[in-house]
Amino acid sequence: MSLRVLNPNAEVLNKSAALHMNINAAKGLQDVLKTNLGPKGTIKMLVGGAGDIKLTKDGNTLLKEMQIQNPTAIMIARTAVAQDDISGDGTTSTVLFTGELMKQSERYIDEGMHPHVLVDGFDIAKRATLQFLEKFKTPVVMGSEPDKEILKMVARTALRTKLYESLADQLTDIIVNAVLCIRKPEEAIDLFMVEIMHMRHKFDVDTRLVEGLVLDHGSRHPDMKRRAENCYILTCNVSLEYEKSEINAGFFYSSAEQREAMVAAERHSVDERVKKIIELKKKVCSGNDSNFVVINQKGIDPPSLDLLARAGIIALRRAKRRNMERLVLACGGEAVNSVDDLTHDCLGWAGLVYEHVLGEDKYTFVENVKNPHSCTILIKGPNDHTIAQIKDAVRDGLRAVKNTIEDESVILGAGAFEAAARQYLINEVKKTVHGRAQLGVEAFANALLVIPKTLAENSGLDTQDAIIALTGEHDRGNVVGLNLQTGEPIDPQMEGIFDNYSVKRQIINSGPVIASQLLLVDEVIRAGRNMRKPT
Amino acid sequence: MREIITVQVGGFANFIGSHFWNFQDELLGLADDPYADEIFKHQQMDMDVLYRSGETPQGILTYSPRLVSIDFQGTLGAMNSRGSLYDSSPATKDVYTWEGNISTHTSEPQKKNLFLQSLDDEQISNKNKGGEIDHGREYQEKDIIECLESGVKFWTDYTKVLYHPKSLTELSGLWMDAADFSNYGIGKEALHCGHQGEEIIERLRFFVEECDHIQGFQFIVDDSGGFSAVAAEFLENIADDYTNTPVLLYTARDPRSYKKLGQRNEKIFQVLHDAVSFSRLSSLCQLIVPMGLPFLSTSKACTFLSIEDEKPYHSSAVYAAALHSTSIPFRMQYLRQPADPHDVSGAINMNDMVRMLSDNARKNTVAILDISMPAPSLRGKDVRQSLLSHFHPLTYEIEEDVEDLHSVEAVNIHGVIGPGGHCASVSEVKDSVDYAYDHAKSRPKFCHLSATRTPLPIPLPFPSIFSSLIGSQGELQGGSTTSSTSRGSLDVHSIPLATRLRMSNAILPYLESRLNNLMRFGIQRGAAGSDLIRGWGLSRDELEDMGESLTRMVMNLKPGDEISDDSD
Ligand SMILES: Nc1ncnc2c1ncn2[C@@H]1O[C@H](COP(=O)(O)OP(=O)(O)OP(=O)(O)O)[C@@H](O)[C@H]1O
Ligand SMILES: [Mg+2]
Repeated sequence: MSLRVLNPNAEVLNKSAALHMNINAAKGLQDVLKTNLGPKGTIKMLVGGAGDIKLTKDGNTLLKEMQIQNPTAIMIARTAVAQDDISGDGTTSTVLFTGELMKQSERYIDEGMHPHVLVDGFDIAKRATLQFLEKFKTPVVMGSEPDKEILKMVARTALRTKLYESLADQLTDIIVNAVLCIRKPEEAIDLFMVEIMHMRHKFDVDTRLVEGLVLDHGSRHPDMKRRAENCYILTCNVSLEYEKSEINAGFFYSSAEQREAMVAAERHSVDERVKKIIELKKKVCSGNDSNFVVINQKGIDPPSLDLLARAGIIALRRAKRRNMERLVLACGGEAVNSVDDLTHDCLGWAGLVYEHVLGEDKYTFVENVKNPHSCTILIKGPNDHTIAQIKDAVRDGLRAVKNTIEDESVILGAGAFEAAARQYLINEVKKTVHGRAQLGVEAFANALLVIPKTLAENSGLDTQDAIIALTGEHDRGNVVGLNLQTGEPIDPQMEGIFDNYSVKRQIINSGPVIASQLLLVDEVIRAGRNMRKPT
Repeated sequence: MREIITVQVGGFANFIGSHFWNFQDELLGLADDPYADEIFKHQQMDMDVLYRSGETPQGILTYSPRLVSIDFQGTLGAMNSRGSLYDSSPATKDVYTWEGNISTHTSEPQKKNLFLQSLDDEQISNKNKGGEIDHGREYQEKDIIECLESGVKFWTDYTKVLYHPKSLTELSGLWMDAADFSNYGIGKEALHCGHQGEEIIERLRFFVEECDHIQGFQFIVDDSGGFSAVAAEFLENIADDYTNTPVLLYTARDPRSYKKLGQRNEKIFQVLHDAVSFSRLSSLCQLIVPMGLPFLSTSKACTFLSIEDEKPYHSSAVYAAALHSTSIPFRMQYLRQPADPHDVSGAINMNDMVRMLSDNARKNTVAILDISMPAPSLRGKDVRQSLLSHFHPLTYEIEEDVEDLHSVEAVNIHGVIGPGGHCASVSEVKDSVDYAYDHAKSRPKFCHLSATRTPLPIPLPFPSIFSSLIGSQGELQGGSTTSSTSRGSLDVHSIPLATRLRMSNAILPYLESRLNNLMRFGIQRGAAGSDLIRGWGLSRDELEDMGESLTRMVMNLKPGDEISDDSD
């Protein structure tokens, strides 16, 4: 998909030309991404040559869909995407900040300044800004009961940059509840324990939280119930199909009889395994109205399905590997690898298990569970690209909540941090620096403003007015952000606009790192040099 | 049911796959076609092995390949990655998720070539007139063939199959040309970009879950560059989930991928890639079949073909034919009471095949693929005697004319013309093979023969690669080579075909060159390529393991060395 193909460089250029090429590439990438930023940004619909559609409001997704050829641009893109892999957000800001650092540098370089001096200044400014970030952050206490309100505000801020308001708000609660559901005190949050499942739905965009699990397959036997209440759940990873015992058993049949005997023996041992499950079912379900559901990671062949169906058991095969873990967290019990020592304790429990069929797609809902530690966010959308975009947004939101809990702090958004950091650099840091590195600090400080500037620009505001209003307030000692409706200063705290601390930290870190590399080129850096053929 | 799921990884693999599925599609069509030759109506092949039945949300029944294909972003040409099977209506441009600004960026539409247009027209006229032939067509089949000969750029340009929306995946976010995606190291990370790796595993799971009794995976991997690492990562990821499902893996090379390597380090680069890639892939499957000749066009395998090495559209057709042939025993109907025992014989499932071939004392899991395309007719003693001499390898770097008393072979013969001038019956084929082996210099230790009477059908989009000596049934027409123009699907409707998978120590040069290169350029102290290999993210231990396993493979095959079966 060629959103904009940046020119590939052909030859090795001299130093100055190389430097300007780097600057231009960084600016070029910035131009492509800048309209993305913030809740008033532009969503992009990318239509491929064969009519396939991608929808994105996300720097990360956009970058991946672009066919970037310029090595400098690729380097920036890689860093920005890596940023997303680590903290889940801030891709656009990273690209903008890097581009702006390069843009600010250009002025000084054109005036004859050596890039080294700028880079020194960047380094000082970066460290000072990171220190400032520590002072600036708003601590959040995350005891055994995290402050749900603050989590919601962070999630909402993130989601509203990706989805329209009411959809974002609907998702906010879902996402916060999902993370709180899987969170275990004293343990790192494993977002994989939130399953994200989607369904196509004619016109509707809708999302809901299922406390329990939704699987993307159903039972494979016509006689099995499609809906059952009070279910014991057996989560297992046991082959219930006839197969040759071992592929490389070091043995091959010497006669047809021998083969038949092998087949019979194998079948027998599969049946035995099925029977053990049926025994357990009889033990736990007799004399009450409960049901029994087997969810197996391995296969279950038709003869085994028959046996299970006849015993009134619902059975699903080839469950996702990760669902083994999720099921146990949602329903209790344990995931067993063998049916040899099955006991009541192995079983989980769900109040309701039912199947939903859409064309050839089947879904199994495992719901009404007790005390779940795994859950599913179910997204409905009219087409794949809409679903994919919502999915991206959900992932962003989940990461934002997780980050908040782990960071135990948040950062005031809407440009407040950037304006405050700039002011600090100009008023406090710059004067402590000797010589021309001061200019590097100044360039860094001004580059930070690219965030509020772009937010204003994307909202159709007069950027100069907006920035003057913003910096003016900061000069007066008021920490404010930009109201994107009016261009007036606002208190992000009051409005509940919060960004992640760890994301900001990364943006501050990686922007100057790439910019410095790009400024200190001797000759053109070839794309991912190590990944290329040596020539 | 004995389902097989096919996984195609990389450019050339998908070119091959495209032809492969065209053959299947053609067979399906011929079975239903009232005007088709009788032979195609009693194929006694179980198409459900390769195909799945499904249903669109609109309730329309579908029949599509059990396939997962992985390729580079932008290689699908005019085909939408979701295919058109489940998405007949054009996608709406409404945005449901954003109320702010929207900007649309449209790539230049990929123009459909004449062939793809004709498929669209056919679909429309099928819908409108219930299959009536539209006489108002402005183009002729001749033009279609010409346009393919001169203009195939993507494998989708000549595919007539409708794929399931979960079948085709494009790797995105790599930010490089396909040409730069050229080595093992670069491919290693490709699946880790975002959720792509997981997405592909999920797609495979979708196809596996619906199988009642899967017999195996058939991998076709373009191992000339980064895709061998993609395949390896993928296989490694699924190994735990499908422990007892065999993987039959074909590696395939476009003749164009054997570039002239001028500089020394370029060469080192390439041979190290070959060694690493082979040793990884062979460790992740039960049987590996390397295919790909650098000069296919002038190879003996193509004696009766006129291939242009520059066209992957051409070269892939030969490998696809071979693959079709080797997959036939896996999908012959197991009939309790065969309707006509003369039609098919030698059904075997993938697991047994793999065990039969690899489970010899030598533990060799590398098979040589030979082809005879078209296969000779069985008329006359001479031909029967020389039946075996018509086999020529599609595997590179092997020894010719070795005598290997321990070799194990699986021979597939289909649609050959018998002594009577008609399709040979299965027993005639058997006799001939027996006869041929009786008169051969040496006999393999074991040979499995499978035979059917159904020849390889030549679908319209098949390239014009037959020499002018080939007749419409694939027979060799006597006489002189009068015209030098090659013939295609309009002149040749089907051909008899034979292939052979051969487990023989003739593979030794192939193995030894990989082993030696790995030692010399990767492992030995001060090896010229050791930095490079580190750049690929391979540790010294991993390399040494590779070296060891290659050494073992070589040792096991060395003639004379008694197979020592000590603890390993
Ligand atoms: N309601 C709001 N008013 C003003 N600014 C806001 C508001 N909500 C979010 N922002 C700001 O928008 C910026 C985040 O925008 P966005 O999420 O589009 O980009 P990103 O996080 O840098 O990159 P991406 O999310 O694409 O990886 C932050 O600086 C944040 O403070
Ligand atoms: Mg964001």
